Amino acid sequence: MGAGLFGYAIRRLLWCIPVLFAVSVIVFTVVRMAPGDPVDTLLGQRYDPVVAARLRHKYGYDQPIYEQYFTYMNNLFHGDLGVSTRHQDFTVKQVVLPKMWVSTQIGFYAMIITFLLGIPVGVYAALARGTFLDPLIISSWLLLDAIPVFVLIPVAQWFFAARLGIVGLGYEGVYSSHMILPILIVGLTGVAGVARLMRASVITVMGEDYVRTARAKGLRETTVIITHVARNALLPMVSIIGLSLPGLVAGDLFVEQLFGIPGIGQESLQAVLAPDFDVVLFFVLLSSTLFVLANVVFDLLYGVIDPRIRIGEARG
Amino acid sequence: MSNRTLTLMMGVVAFLILVVGIVFVIAVVGGGGGGGSSNTASAPKTSSGVTGDICQGNTLVTFGEDPASILDPIQVRDVGTSEYVVEIFGGLVTLDLNLTVQPDIAASWKVSPDGKAYTFTLRDNVVFQNNRKVTAQDVKYSLERAADPANNSPTVTLYLGNIVGLLDRYNGKAKDVSGVKVIDDKTVEIDLVQPSDYFLAELTQPVGFVVDQQQISQDLRNWTQHPNGTGPFKLSQFTPADKIVLTRNDHYHLGVAKLDSVVFELGGGSLLTRYQNNELHIGAVPAIDLEAVKNGTSPLSADYKPQPEMSLSYIAFNTKQAPFDDPLVRQAFAMSIDRDKINTVLLYDTQRVATSILPPEMPGHNDQVTGYSYDPAKAKQLLAQSKYAGKMPHIVLTYAGAGGDAPEILQAIQAGWQDALGITVDLQASEYSAYLRDLRKGTYQMFDAGWAADYPDPEDFLDKLFASDSQQNEQGYVNPAVDALLKQARIETDRTKRFALYSQAEQQILNDAAIIPTFWPIDHMLVKSCVQNWPSVSMTVPKYRYISIDASKEK
Repeated sequence: MGAGLFGYAIRRLLWCIPVLFAVSVIVFTVVRMAPGDPVDTLLGQRYDPVVAARLRHKYGYDQPIYEQYFTYMNNLFHGDLGVSTRHQDFTVKQVVLPKMWVSTQIGFYAMIITFLLGIPVGVYAALARGTFLDPLIISSWLLLDAIPVFVLIPVAQWFFAARLGIVGLGYEGVYSSHMILPILIVGLTGVAGVARLMRASVITVMGEDYVRTARAKGLRETTVIITHVARNALLPMVSIIGLSLPGLVAGDLFVEQLFGIPGIGQESLQAVLAPDFDVVLFFVLLSSTLFVLANVVFDLLYGVIDPRIRIGEARG
Repeated sequence: MSNRTLTLMMGVVAFLILVVGIVFVIAVVGGGGGGGSSNTASAPKTSSGVTGDICQGNTLVTFGEDPASILDPIQVRDVGTSEYVVEIFGGLVTLDLNLTVQPDIAASWKVSPDGKAYTFTLRDNVVFQNNRKVTAQDVKYSLERAADPANNSPTVTLYLGNIVGLLDRYNGKAKDVSGVKVIDDKTVEIDLVQPSDYFLAELTQPVGFVVDQQQISQDLRNWTQHPNGTGPFKLSQFTPADKIVLTRNDHYHLGVAKLDSVVFELGGGSLLTRYQNNELHIGAVPAIDLEAVKNGTSPLSADYKPQPEMSLSYIAFNTKQAPFDDPLVRQAFAMSIDRDKINTVLLYDTQRVATSILPPEMPGHNDQVTGYSYDPAKAKQLLAQSKYAGKMPHIVLTYAGAGGDAPEILQAIQAGWQDALGITVDLQASEYSAYLRDLRKGTYQMFDAGWAADYPDPEDFLDKLFASDSQQNEQGYVNPAVDALLKQARIETDRTKRFALYSQAEQQILNDAAIIPTFWPIDHMLVKSCVQNWPSVSMTVPKYRYISIDASKEK
């Protein structure tokens, strides 16, 4: 089994290389072919063809596109992520990484809240199926989810900051009481989604034979729920958590904008609009790499957790 | 097996979640508690829930834009970044709050009789923020560095192109800028290709600022993160998208700042709520609250400070395309916009209707110069006389935007043309960089545009936008009479005569209806009552050194 799993893992990882190569070519071409021109945006109304030609040369935009691609990839492998044109001459590293880190941390804490609450809420709703409690619980969380954050946030800010005065609003670092409100808002608005999935999953598992067997054995209901139902119902959650992890680096535009958080959401939007070639490229390449890798890693983990799912082994 | 693995995994995940949660709680509680006890004395750091304490300290907290370039004067090209750079650095000359050119590093200057040579005598007491004395050599180095082709300054040819030898250096044909001469340690001469009365105004631009050669040569890559300028404030913190903190430069030669520091919050966020929550000294009035703030019914009305912008919004015609190649059509269009009504109905009377091109704050602004006012009957008449009478082509007005509904003002203007002339103009949004490119190509029939002053001189509006040889003349407007006046004004060194020439040119441009000036915009600011001497200045000039905070004036 060990060798088979190892071979499977290697095969899956090797497959990532052509996928990521294709992604990089496509993304590079699309970004370069998009209508905007960074030098146009940089010079704005004070455009001068001589200065523009100088800047195009400086950033290498006067080269054929395949040469630009090879230069970019070559630099990338040497750890040089390029420079931003929107933040003229700041490196992509300086522009993107600190903001991405801020977004990732906030998103991560919010995600913990989401799953920590969503899972028990979902289990509870499933157990309460058929009573008024089930729709009540789910729909009360859905209510929070249904209000757009750009409505929820100003109201919450007004109430908790301006009215009650219990939190401040300015960004003072991720580890500050000012971040409680944004993290709670992102976290709590996601609870309904997780709870509904968990509820559906629990209900499916409850219908399985082994649950009936467990009950027939005379196990206590709590034991049945915890060791047999909840544990198996959590399996689909593994991939949901896994696939939402890469999304953390993307940030949340509205939340960051409204709380003045220096995250990546606003930066990536502006980078696409400018356009800021290297920033967009790095952002998209990083997201796709993480996504592809997360897919592989969680497929493998799945295989460990549940041998039935190990697709590759049967074939290899 | 699988069950054991799963139990193990769930255990690990639960453990991780617990650990992270605990760390976060400790960090928040510990950080908040620690901050609370140690920071009670230094008031500027707003602790949540406590109102009014920003007025106790000596730090101004305001908002700013994330810099669009590194804080290198020769790379700065936007107003947002200039705001910081003009406080950190200085040049030979600067602008005061009345937008008059004043000596900065130079104590005085002499202009040669032909107006082509400026000899600056430097002050004895000007030092960089690290206390090194500024010499004529530093001035020469800084100007030559700006022109160095390796540095690719986007603004040097625009503002300093008139210096002898600068373009040769920029184009790599020379090793130095021959027109910048060090006479002795405290004297520097700058020679111009053409005499120019607005050269000093151009020299107040960041690209003319003095930088520290020693610092730059020692730390070529990162010096802009802790620049050593001569300005009233030092950069003490810069976290992109988050915060810029400037602290007082105690060596400053024009009067040390009264504030200890200025904090610029770059993240945006809910500025009004934060202003109301006493986290900011300076706020901005959102459009939705403008009416209440302006008419005194809002609690914010007492803090309201309108701040004129040295800029112009306008509708421009492509004078080379049908139907706007006929001046009669342009005039008819200009006469059918009721800007006063738009201002009253849509803008709560908060903007200024532009009766001419030069904003009222601009030196050389002349009240006698006026464009066409609202006259739909006359407009109809002119249209009937035009060569497009009865065969008007389809007209599209383009604006830079992201789609969706066009801005209300444009819709109102569109309705005006429909009502007065019976012409349906389509509004079309275009993505910003494509908009800029198509403007240059002359693709658009008609477009919505704006121009903000670089320096306070009529040349910056009239010559840049309407001279037939200017890159910025996107209207394709050519009038030999106007060209002659503008050319004459470029080299006229008598200011009164020069401004008279510009008035003539401006009137002619308005008569030709090359553009329809719409508004001279106003920013709607909120300033806490404890902030003293907040200047209402229409351009980006060094201003924070004048401001102080007086807790006793707090309401």
